[in-house]
Amino acid sequence: MADQDGKKIKDPLTGVETTGHVWDDNIREFDNPLPRWWLWAFYMSVIFTLWYWVVYPAWPSGLLEKGYTLGTKTITYDSDAGETKTTHWNTRALLAHQMQTNKSELIRQKMVKEIAETPFDTIAADPQQSKFVLAYGKSIFGDYCAACHQRGGQGVIGHYPNLIDDAWLWGSDVSDIETSIRKGRKGNMPAHKGSLTADEIEQAAHYVLSLSKQSSDVVAIEKGKAIFNTKGCSGCHMPTAMGMKALGSANLTDHIWTQADVNGTDDAGKKLAAVKQVITEGIQREMPAWESRLKDDEIKILVSYIKLLSQN
Amino acid sequence: MAHSAAAPQVEQYNYDIVKKFAIMTIVWGIVGMTTGVYIASELAWPVLNFDIAQITFGRLRPLHTSGVIFGFGGNALFATSFYIVQRTSQARLWGGGLAEFCFWGWNAALIIAGIGYLIGITQAREYAEPEWYVDLLIAIVWVTYFIIYVGTIARRSQPHIYVANWFFIAFILAVALLHIFNNLAVPLSFTSTKSYSLFSGAQDAMTQWWYGHNAVGFFLTAAFLGMMYYFVPKQAGRPVYSYRLSIVHFWALSFMYMWVGTHHLHWTAIPDWTSSLAAAFSILLLMPSWGGMINGIMTLSGAWDKLRTDPIMMFLITSLSFYGMSTFEGPMMALKSVNALSHYTDWTVGHVHSGALGWVAMVSIGSLYHMMPRLWNTTMYSISLIYVHFFLATIGILLYITALWVSGIGQGLMLRAFDNFGNLKYSFIETVIFMEGPLIARAVGGMFFVTGMLFMAYNMWMTIILAKSRPESGSSVAIAST
Repeated sequence: MADQDGKKIKDPLTGVETTGHVWDDNIREFDNPLPRWWLWAFYMSVIFTLWYWVVYPAWPSGLLEKGYTLGTKTITYDSDAGETKTTHWNTRALLAHQMQTNKSELIRQKMVKEIAETPFDTIAADPQQSKFVLAYGKSIFGDYCAACHQRGGQGVIGHYPNLIDDAWLWGSDVSDIETSIRKGRKGNMPAHKGSLTADEIEQAAHYVLSLSKQSSDVVAIEKGKAIFNTKGCSGCHMPTAMGMKALGSANLTDHIWTQADVNGTDDAGKKLAAVKQVITEGIQREMPAWESRLKDDEIKILVSYIKLLSQN
Repeated sequence: MAHSAAAPQVEQYNYDIVKKFAIMTIVWGIVGMTTGVYIASELAWPVLNFDIAQITFGRLRPLHTSGVIFGFGGNALFATSFYIVQRTSQARLWGGGLAEFCFWGWNAALIIAGIGYLIGITQAREYAEPEWYVDLLIAIVWVTYFIIYVGTIARRSQPHIYVANWFFIAFILAVALLHIFNNLAVPLSFTSTKSYSLFSGAQDAMTQWWYGHNAVGFFLTAAFLGMMYYFVPKQAGRPVYSYRLSIVHFWALSFMYMWVGTHHLHWTAIPDWTSSLAAAFSILLLMPSWGGMINGIMTLSGAWDKLRTDPIMMFLITSLSFYGMSTFEGPMMALKSVNALSHYTDWTVGHVHSGALGWVAMVSIGSLYHMMPRLWNTTMYSISLIYVHFFLATIGILLYITALWVSGIGQGLMLRAFDNFGNLKYSFIETVIFMEGPLIARAVGGMFFVTGMLFMAYNMWMTIILAKSRPESGSSVAIAST
């Protein structure tokens, strides 16, 4: 490494010579060899790489049937048609193989199959099956439902129904819940600000509150009752005010409120205002249909999970 | 050091352009890193979104990445490469006002692109978000940069080209290639801000990550190795450890990096062979990467005491340690089995930042502290503040990457945890709840780092003010390192 413009200098500290190149007055380079450990580690990485390329598909080539080297590693799995196939290593076959052989996955598949064939009441009575439903359901519910209904299923007053109380707008049977999930629901209560006067809305609200013994304004209640029965409310909420499953109209006689936050306050004025707000503005809300996004097995588990949640 | 004659230097080298880039390095550093701290805080405390679209994570994130990579990193590279090429060639920068064009063009491109991000103009290609009109400006600036650089080297009065310049030339050439090919796109019209890529599907993804990873390889690694190769021996006052190692690792690094981009797409809809090829090349890349670390750290042998007495040396050597660590971590994460856990988690983000803060920022900061007194022909206003900056930066980085190891590896493990029935044990939202603590710690780590940058800005400001107030200041550079 002799150089025409500089002299090699021997370092007094290490005894190593420089190459003789000098830049910017004082930048020099030692003529040290490559560190041995570095060189061997590099060779090792080359060996690893060559092994990797032999074992796995790694290089493209137009000369080969598939267009790339297949590698020596193979995977055996059962195809959808039930044939046992052995192929070169690839991620699709790997997934199929793992789904057919992984211990956890096999237990899961067995349980899912069992649940799919078992009616809900039997599941609820079987500690093993209900535990499974609660565990599996928690992650499906967490991933798809909790964004609206919240992780515990408690919903958000005024927006998303509570799933763990005793009130069911669209029915509490397993089949009703399944329909809600599969097809979705559209809840619609018309706004009454055009059809009722402010006084009428106030009177109707008094009547509605009196159904759960939360108003004692006798005069207003009496007038409100007439409005309820003649000006459209009873058409959906029924003359009994107990609601109608087919329309998803709420039962107004229980103490459960999902839109007007009546239970959230002790102030009679605020309770009244909350009910008036709903009558005035109406409600439009929608639950999406999940039929095309979840598998049948998953829907079955989800229904059972929600049912178990509401029973516990 | 020998360069004591101050007056002739000013004429010999174009320091004016280096000063401009150096100042913008600090400005972009503070802007980009503060944005980073803000979006990190949004993740920890979502209320900070304030429901304003322009300041949500998705809009601010490219401002952060462009700000720190191309603003802070880019200006630092222009500054140091123009400084180094002049001094190691003993020639004034070629091209006269062309360097000025690079300065204004580059920074204008960043500002136009940055404003665009906030109002939603983006190509949605990571690290290549600017739209076609900004890309054109960048391409012109970049070609000009190349011409200036080669022109200056051609003027050199030294027979050999110093290793730092090899790395800078490789960086400039590779980035030109990457930038132009990845941004091949058709604008809707000449008045539209929207364009569509020439590539589609898996090819588009692979082109993007060929670009994306080589932005890491050539912009954030090779170029900063160039920086390291000048400032470490200069600051240590020792010769570079091994000329042969520098040759071997330079060529190995340049050759291998181009192959590994596809490891960003493991376990996605790309052909399996592309994945294996990239994973294997990533392992091959480990030792060539470490060659730079060894050459830098071993250069200090014989002057180890400087690690106690010289805060600039502390910055430079710590940066090499982080470089070594993240170039080890990278190939590991590029293995498909490790990647299955790490992909899409904060581990990736932590890995990037141990490289970006630990290596890129620290080597740049050390280099700036070395250059500053020499550019303004003065001494640093405060050496103690450099120590303060060093410790704030180091604590910040450690907090940051540790927090994201916990967050990323923790989330990765949770997402693959099964219960006794073979069910997934956690829903996604539970993993997010787990991440809250680490995300707060990460934001605090970032705050430490930005605070350090503010100390640097103050120190630099005072240094410049004092230098200007006494024009006849000492001619020798009396800093701890010399």
